[in-house]
Amino acid sequence: MKTLNEQISDVIAQEPVAVFMKGTPQMIMCGNSHRALQALQAAGAPITAVDILPDPRIRRELSSISGWPTIPQVFVRGELVGGADITEELASSGELQQKLDDALGADRAQDVKVVELQLA
Amino acid sequence: MDAATIRELLEAAFPGASSVDVQDRTGGGDHFQVTVVSTAFDGLSLIDQHRRVNEALAAPLADGSIHELRIKTKGTA
Repeated sequence: MKTLNEQISDVIAQEPVAVFMKGTPQMIMCGNSHRALQALQAAGAPITAVDILPDPRIRRELSSISGWPTIPQVFVRGELVGGADITEELASSGELQQKLDDALGADRAQDVKVVELQLA
Repeated sequence: MDAATIRELLEAAFPGASSVDVQDRTGGGDHFQVTVVSTAFDGLSLIDQHRRVNEALAAPLADGSIHELRIKTKGTA
């Protein structure tokens, strides 16, 4: 089995848009995670969500990889976009949509999925 | 942690900032909205601007004194 660090790195590297959040899009457990998701959906992003709440190690490993201390964290094609504030700000200025168009193409799908990490 | 302490940390990290504002969003001393306007942000991307604020508040973020942090930054250029 891959380590938690490897699993998180894989999600960041492989998913078009990865969101590490509290809860899932079906059951959001934090206002900031909600804000980030809303901004992404308004900009037409596909979403791969990872719930960080099942184990405190998830957040620890994630922050050690990203160098970002807070949740949520949004990545587009492996690159950290930011937390809820930046995602919202970029969405309202139109830059987020531009970034998504550039990275994923304008006719992208808008699927929402959830990845569950395997905990040892 | 009170808003004044957060403000001191930000003022120490961004000396000469044109504006540092800290709001305790819930009155509970752990949900903060911080707004910083400084030349230190000139030429930095939004994410690097927020990184600088996160670094200034690394200790209270790490020990859980800040449960939620909302950041607004602006350069002066």
